Amino acid sequence: MSFAVIKPGLETSVQDWPGRYGYWNQGFPPSGPMDSWSFRLANLLVGNPAGAPGLECQYMGPTIRFDDQTIFSVTGADMQPTLDGAPVPLWESVTAQPGQVLAMTFAKLGTRAYVAVAGGIEVAPWLGSRATFHKAGIGGMGGYALKAGQTVPTGEPAPEAVAGRRVKPEARPAIATDRRWEIEVVPGPNDDWIDAEGHHRFLSADWKLSGKSDRTGFRLDGPDWTSTEKAINKAPEHGSLPSNIIDQGYPLGAINLAGQTPIILVNDGPSMGGFINPYTVPQAAFWKLAQSKPGETYRFKAVTVAQAQAMARSLSALCAEASITQA
Amino acid sequence: MGTEIRTQTAGNVWKVLVQPGDVVAEGDVLFIMEVMKMEVPHTAPVAGKVSKVHVANDQEGLDADAPAVELE
Amino acid sequence: MIYPEPRYLPGGDRYILVEFGNEMNLELNFMAQGLAAAIAEARIAGVIETAPCFASMLVHYEPELIGFDDLTTELAKLVAGLGPSDALELESRLWYFPAVYLDPWTRACVDDYIAKIAPKTPDWDLMVELNGLRDTDDFVRVHSGTEYWVASLGFWPGLPFMMALDPRAKMTAPKYNPPRTWTPGGAIGLGGASTAIYPEALPGGYQIFARTPVPIWDRARRFAAFEGSICLFRPGDRVRFVPCSVAEFEAIEREVIDGTYQYNMVGYGKFSVALYKSWTASLGTGRGS
Repeated sequence: MSFAVIKPGLETSVQDWPGRYGYWNQGFPPSGPMDSWSFRLANLLVGNPAGAPGLECQYMGPTIRFDDQTIFSVTGADMQPTLDGAPVPLWESVTAQPGQVLAMTFAKLGTRAYVAVAGGIEVAPWLGSRATFHKAGIGGMGGYALKAGQTVPTGEPAPEAVAGRRVKPEARPAIATDRRWEIEVVPGPNDDWIDAEGHHRFLSADWKLSGKSDRTGFRLDGPDWTSTEKAINKAPEHGSLPSNIIDQGYPLGAINLAGQTPIILVNDGPSMGGFINPYTVPQAAFWKLAQSKPGETYRFKAVTVAQAQAMARSLSALCAEASITQA
Repeated sequence: MGTEIRTQTAGNVWKVLVQPGDVVAEGDVLFIMEVMKMEVPHTAPVAGKVSKVHVANDQEGLDADAPAVELE
Repeated sequence: MIYPEPRYLPGGDRYILVEFGNEMNLELNFMAQGLAAAIAEARIAGVIETAPCFASMLVHYEPELIGFDDLTTELAKLVAGLGPSDALELESRLWYFPAVYLDPWTRACVDDYIAKIAPKTPDWDLMVELNGLRDTDDFVRVHSGTEYWVASLGFWPGLPFMMALDPRAKMTAPKYNPPRTWTPGGAIGLGGASTAIYPEALPGGYQIFARTPVPIWDRARRFAAFEGSICLFRPGDRVRFVPCSVAEFEAIEREVIDGTYQYNMVGYGKFSVALYKSWTASLGTGRGS
């Protein structure tokens, strides 16, 4: 079974969840879907395991033609999906007949949409995962995002795959309509390099998401950071800027301070480097990053490790059959 | 009856290549948006004369489907 | 300094950064790699992967299976069990990498940068100037005269960061400002105190002065030496650069294209930190020959 890529969209790629684990010490980031909430529910709607390979669409969605009768779902951003021109509901499993065309355009609300097909996408795995790191040419379709003219292989649908399954509205991520997002952050690892005024400034300012943001990093515009003694009086091999440190591993979600510019390291971000990470965005807040647009505003809220882990548990509980009803 | 060219995506405007009064052919690039460090050129769907330009070089944080250029 | 006890710092809900010290000291990397090996052997439930870096190590864990406090306790126990770094014996493969030093490809790349981006002292002349060497031949002798220790891999998939094991070969250089927009694949460079090999054509900031025809990146999975990965190296590997001619480079390149190239790897050694330390203590301070 398969579908054909008619138009690829801006950057549409195969992802699986939780992505590529086990190769961090060779410099491979996990990749995977940035909004794993929408991604997991898309899969459950079509009877797939939550982590099965599906498509992540960014900003401008693709146009695909199903070669077989297929049960599919679209979740996340509203890219105004149509099937042979007729609107397709988001957050619901839908049947396509052979030859029908699913077209998606620009995101009206949110930024990243997810398409799951019953049976999942069956490209060969790269180092144990089908997740794509497009810039490095790893994973997915031959290492890269989708290209026009490709045929994407898909698997056998599970017997549970039926149309008309819908995610309860209260179980869907609430994409901000007022261009403002509250993003949870856990202080650390290098929070002791920033002074009290610097912390206060970070947590009380409006930060703007820069257009120069992609799956390797989300760049933020906002006020300056100020440092503690530790950042200024240090061995010369750390480097000369207050934000320079001897090269260290970067947690996924780290707010990496390159000079005065914070860059949130997301799914295809660097695994290590020589800048400090005063805060880290926990996994359960990644869907907010995924659905925000350049020019929108972030306000950061400090939470503890325990609170961040509780958020992840709550999110996993929502990505379950209990969130789905038969329409 | 004029033609309105709208932004195809949210993002920034990198370069505006036309101004009111310019005559363009079908397919001419009117402006280029930048999103995820990628260029998204916007072309004239028909030949015509530019009557209005609502976008500017380096303009940031536009929505998708925003009016950008009008042809008479 | 080397911390008397490592610091265990939270990285969001799923990561712990273990800091062994705050200086560039190979011993800190040996400790990081020793802990990584101990974690793998202990098979702590909930640890997904580890990644050593120069003086620290990142641990990725699953909070559903182990909490931050419990994991920190387990890590501290393993550190205590490892004892002093002298006691460490690390798995370590040794690779021989033919390389053309002062090669035409990095020269062309540097000349291109000087012409189009910014003036600078050409890279291998800069290495001579900044490190008290006689001339570029002296630089080649010193750089190629030591084994390099793969302290970590990352920033880009497959990119190794290597430290000279012979302290007499230690050199430093600043990074490009602004960085280059491209570097030939296989280029060998030095930035700060670490030597790197560029796995593919990539932007970069290290001073470059040599090139190897031997791939360290194998997307098509053609070479058994990669043991199932796309990236050749693991932390703890050692590399010896063997100066070769352009003709030898081209011959090896043909074998790589054919798929017949045989990697030169010595797999029967272990790296003893104690023996390493007593060896370095026995060396003089000059740049020996």
